[in-house]
Amino acid sequence: MESNKKYWKGLEEYKNTPDFVDNNKNEFAEPLPIEDVLNEAGLSTVTPRRDFLKALGFGLGAVTLAACQPAPVHKSIPYLIKPEEVVPGIPNYYVSSFNGQSILVKTREGRPIKIEPNPNAGAFNCGTDAVAQASVLDLYDVSKLKAPVLKNAEANWAAIDQFVKDGLAKVAGKKIRIVSSSVNSPSTKAVVADFTKVYPTTKHVQYDAVSYTGIIKANENSFGKAVIPKYNFDKADLVVSFAADFLGTWISGEEFTSQYVSNRDHKSLAKGKMSRHFQFEAGMSLTGTNADTRIPVKLSEEGPALITLYNAITGSNLAGGGLPNNGSADKALKLLGKELLQNKGKSLVVCGSNDVSTQILVNAINSAIGSYGTTIDLDNPSKRYNGNDAEFAELINEMNRGEVGAVFFLNSNPAYDVANSKAFTDALAKVALKVSFSDRTDETSSLCDVIAINPNYLESWGDANAYEGYYSIVQPTINPVFNSRQAEESLLIWSNGPVKEYYQYVRNNWEATILPGLGKTWNDLLQTGVFAATAKPAGAYTFSLSLDAVASSIASSSKLLAKDIELQVYESLPMRDGKYANNAFLLELPDPVSKVTWDNYIALAPKFAEKLGYKEFDVVSVKDDKGYTIELPVLIQPGQAQGTASIALGYGRTKVGKAGNNVGQNAYPFVGYANGTLKYATTVKLSGTGRTEELAQTQTHHSFEGRNIIREATFKEYVKDPAAGSGNHGEKHKTYDLWDKYEKPGNNWVMAIDLNACTGCGSCIVACNVENNIPVVGKDEVRRRREMHWIRIDRYYSFEENGESVTEEKEIAHLENMDRVSVVHQPMLCQHCDHAPCETVCPVLATVHSSDGLNHMAYNRCVGTRYCANNCPYKVRRFNWFNYWNDSRFDNYLNNEFTQLVLNPDVTTRSRGVMEKCSMCIQRIQAGKLQAKIEKRPLKDGDIKMACQEACSANAIIFGDGNDPNSEVSKALRSERIYYVLEEINVQPGIGYMTKIRNTDTTVQA
Amino acid sequence: MRNISLIIRRVWKSAFMLTALSVLIVSGTQAQDAAEGRKIFKEKCTSCHALDRDLIGPALQTIVPTKSEAFLLKWINNAPAFIASGDKEAVEASKFNPNAEMTAFPSLTPEQIKSILAYVKVGEPKKADDPKNPAGSDEVSSFSIAGVVAIIVVSIIILVLLGRAVKMLERLILQKQGIVVEEDVKVPLSQGIGLLFKNKKFVFFFILCVAMVLGTFGWMGMWNTGVHTGYQPVQPIKFSHELHAGTNQIDCQYCHSGAFKSKNASIPSLNVCMNCHKQVQARDSHDGNISPEIQKIYNALGYDADKMTYDKSKEKPVEWIRVHNLPDFAYFNHSQHVVVAEESIRKAKGLKPNEPVCFACHGPVNTMQEIYQYSPLTMKWCINCHKETQLDMKGNAFYDKIIEAHEKIKKGEKLTPAALGGMECGKCHY
Repeated sequence: MESNKKYWKGLEEYKNTPDFVDNNKNEFAEPLPIEDVLNEAGLSTVTPRRDFLKALGFGLGAVTLAACQPAPVHKSIPYLIKPEEVVPGIPNYYVSSFNGQSILVKTREGRPIKIEPNPNAGAFNCGTDAVAQASVLDLYDVSKLKAPVLKNAEANWAAIDQFVKDGLAKVAGKKIRIVSSSVNSPSTKAVVADFTKVYPTTKHVQYDAVSYTGIIKANENSFGKAVIPKYNFDKADLVVSFAADFLGTWISGEEFTSQYVSNRDHKSLAKGKMSRHFQFEAGMSLTGTNADTRIPVKLSEEGPALITLYNAITGSNLAGGGLPNNGSADKALKLLGKELLQNKGKSLVVCGSNDVSTQILVNAINSAIGSYGTTIDLDNPSKRYNGNDAEFAELINEMNRGEVGAVFFLNSNPAYDVANSKAFTDALAKVALKVSFSDRTDETSSLCDVIAINPNYLESWGDANAYEGYYSIVQPTINPVFNSRQAEESLLIWSNGPVKEYYQYVRNNWEATILPGLGKTWNDLLQTGVFAATAKPAGAYTFSLSLDAVASSIASSSKLLAKDIELQVYESLPMRDGKYANNAFLLELPDPVSKVTWDNYIALAPKFAEKLGYKEFDVVSVKDDKGYTIELPVLIQPGQAQGTASIALGYGRTKVGKAGNNVGQNAYPFVGYANGTLKYATTVKLSGTGRTEELAQTQTHHSFEGRNIIREATFKEYVKDPAAGSGNHGEKHKTYDLWDKYEKPGNNWVMAIDLNACTGCGSCIVACNVENNIPVVGKDEVRRRREMHWIRIDRYYSFEENGESVTEEKEIAHLENMDRVSVVHQPMLCQHCDHAPCETVCPVLATVHSSDGLNHMAYNRCVGTRYCANNCPYKVRRFNWFNYWNDSRFDNYLNNEFTQLVLNPDVTTRSRGVMEKCSMCIQRIQAGKLQAKIEKRPLKDGDIKMACQEACSANAIIFGDGNDPNSEVSKALRSERIYYVLEEINVQPGIGYMTKIRNTDTTVQA
Repeated sequence: MRNISLIIRRVWKSAFMLTALSVLIVSGTQAQDAAEGRKIFKEKCTSCHALDRDLIGPALQTIVPTKSEAFLLKWINNAPAFIASGDKEAVEASKFNPNAEMTAFPSLTPEQIKSILAYVKVGEPKKADDPKNPAGSDEVSSFSIAGVVAIIVVSIIILVLLGRAVKMLERLILQKQGIVVEEDVKVPLSQGIGLLFKNKKFVFFFILCVAMVLGTFGWMGMWNTGVHTGYQPVQPIKFSHELHAGTNQIDCQYCHSGAFKSKNASIPSLNVCMNCHKQVQARDSHDGNISPEIQKIYNALGYDADKMTYDKSKEKPVEWIRVHNLPDFAYFNHSQHVVVAEESIRKAKGLKPNEPVCFACHGPVNTMQEIYQYSPLTMKWCINCHKETQLDMKGNAFYDKIIEAHEKIKKGEKLTPAALGGMECGKCHY
């Protein structure tokens, strides 16, 4: 062991809370009733002989009767007319797009069952995020409406068309508003334009629950371009982020992850290159956990921090700079100014604020460090978000004045996700014709006259335009399951357009406007899914406006925040803005930092919580100036800026469906509105309620007992010695094996995981859930530590004080505060040990080793002793406590035949009482091998990909054949950074981890 | 319960088979002829003739007995020439249907014609009540049960005889020693059995025997629980593999196209049926009506045979009863076996070159009137094959490296799927 640095899975562990100590002693969350049985009373209880015989006789009789059941008759129903391209048992893949990202949809016998990234996606080629992976479950959501609704009753489309057309005729002359979240689909835009031609009073109002209006307005102000630029994190050697969670939720997380990691992963490190990343933020974000240096700043200090940085770079003396109460940040910013200048043209400053003034200042900084034309591209802008907060605010005024005659809601739910939802719903009541295109009776559509149900994107035609010149297609992969009709088609019908079928409309639109310019055909498009025009050269822009007004605006907004407790409301990675709140996979995906599932919470720094007198899980009442109050449990979050609190948006839906209703509390009312944009920072007062509520966290479910399972080094050390921190120095202890060596004559399936690439985003978890039919267990079961995820991402904290890492346990107990926390994410899955401890203890040989290096699990053989889970050093085995797919207690997921259609037919659904774990996607291995056998060719590296690997934007997971010396994984495993977790117990794991490298620079350390 | 009754039935059947065997041997040759005749008849004659009613040609079972064999041989071989020769009887016979003349079959040998006549005489073979039981091993086990019973009976007799002999000898010895022994009093048989049941040794022995017999039956029954060899459910459409795969020689893949590409062999969709059955309606054997079984296809598709139109609203899928059921936790892939391993399986199972590889597990499908489960589909059955089959992987580059590595480790050992990891749990259970 080279480093003595101490890591902590959670604060419970560091504090050694009594609960933790108690739980830590036991392997299983619930104690075994051994003592009850063996205590005196238990032993002295006499089981009467007759009772024994009765039980025996009944048991025998029951078993006999049960066994007498005749074998069930299975029906086999073939297609009447089989589509030519369908071969039962063989998946078909179709290209489509999800939120602008091109994807591949895997279908089996006509049912979409999995989302994969599209390898043709070109510039936008990255993995898929958790939401995209989980989106396939939304298709099979039983909470959706099965037919359109007219005045709260199911109706047919003819009646709806008549009603809407009549309604539109009645309100002629009044304003018509189509309210949607950002639309970048060229065809949808064309439909709206056509609709506007027929009804000229129509206006398309776009707003986003989590808004980027600030950036758009700032760029309009600074450079005359009202756009979100394209950010090139791959070209940035130095990234400075002010509360922008660009690896998670900010604009295009997956894309930025792939760019960002390309400067930091094992390939980049092998070339001796690694970018540096500074994060200044209040709440601990996913991006913050990945930063080389993360410095907590209060929300009210964000503006002054930017001014400080600007002054440090330009040498000017803009008023409002300096952070008198945050010495370390102040010092760091001044040093950072110099470093940014050294890296002119190779650095990037981003800010998560939605305030126009703040973003103008960021533009000025980026201009000063030469980012435009290199790391920021204003000429090929992103089109993912184009909401306008002011237009939506104006809409409420218009409705209140009675000027609006008809309103249509497309992919938007303002009754839930705008700050002043009461004002909105009151105003909405004054509109004569209210139509929603929602797929369910949600908060807004329940107030509408008509719910013209829109099919899921997997049932729809459409297109997307994520970047200037970058177009992708949305094509249906299944016939509409319910009696739904695409919103665009409805608009075409209501406006009596010449083409009423939306497929034809999309095709006409492409063939008329987009395809000729690219020289491609419609069929080419359906095959590749994506077309990109040659990107325009990115121009260099210079900021040349006066910043005085900006600085004073920033100062005054900062002042407003500097009272009470500063509250940040943010988009959480699993729940995002709440649109997918009924998706059980996302609800059970642990937050990447707090590891909380099925809830939101108020995050407070440890010292600050102590000061306020709150302990973890105390329910507190949060009240803002407007009087909005919610009650949430406290989560103690190291790294949270003192004096601040954070609450995730997207929770607290009341009308979304079985799974998502009343999960957590709605934080949207805390969002403020000032200077034409939404503000995600406010001030609140907290008061205790005296109640406590345990959050369903996954992280502290297992203890690693202080063992050396995370290894890290700084970049400086790495450059000197690539094996730094990995423990691969000198002679290793000689190992003695009780067992014979396994021969692996054919393949040897192994994996390498690059801890420097893994950001901890969790899309691999959802990908694994979907691929392997992993059940969702619900909040109570997670509290009982019964989550079923085959792959989890462990989050470890370590602390520094005065530039020194903390190495002794007792030192941590005396830490002043835990602001300077650094985090490592470690994906943990079955390690497929060669000397697997689980195998030796299985009394029925249900888990055994294979000749290709895998640890097999035969569910039908397992009798559920759980010895294996007990003996697994990595705690990756999961026990099925229930038949989750056939148990009314788990009604929020698979307990209906419709949702069961999402199951992967190549993977068994496990029944109650059996153990399960990562199988290394053995179905994919077998399918890949069979394909090669049929084609009579040797297996190539890359033929077989794991579900987690495919979803990963960071390429942190590398899988392949360890027997092939030229495979990617063999090369990766030869890296000096490779170490094996718990190597010392000689279980010979099949998964190697690469050390975490941090590019910390002592000169900037405060 | 089902299994016990099955076993009892099997015991009876085996006894029946023994007695029937001798009869069969005698009548074997004739049956053979009729069977062959039936085959030829189905191929060449059915378009104009039926056995029991007039179609284009006369009902054969009425007309044939009235003619001499010599006449029939000539007539069937080449009727037009026979009529042209001016034979009186032939000219008379040609008047049955003035619109159609009997087709000439010069390729038929006199033996084949005799076979057809034999078939006409015997008629359609009666269907056996029981499904055919192809698994020889099960018969053996029934025989062995019978054998056990026989051994027990014989041993009882021997024991009784030995007991008597011992008694007699003892008496003789005693007599020699001068002790007068009273003659055994003859007791009536019923009373004797009563006495026998008072004999503790006998009762013990009797109970032991009964326990052994019941135990054996129970054991065999449990062994076969859930094994559905011979499972032959009644299908919604009486589809005959014998006719399609046997007589008409349609390739398995024509209908089960998935078998060579996918894990599922797949039951053909009805559009595959319609490729032929749009024309083939078997009206000849149904008094000019569409065969009711073919009509079922039309009904499922909403097809109107007269107008030749489809009505989508009347579509109703056919619900076949699945014959080959593997449990959900067992993964089986057809293409792996019939594409990759075809040669190995052919060799291992000794299939003839003209037999499709499918026969290895599905049995002689071309003789199955209705499909039944031929193989037990138990894990033991899978494993045995994986253990014993010698792999033949020549020409498949996938295996080159693996075989090379295998040779290095296990020199000269037989190369079976098991040796390459084919018996590891995870290869089929995931």
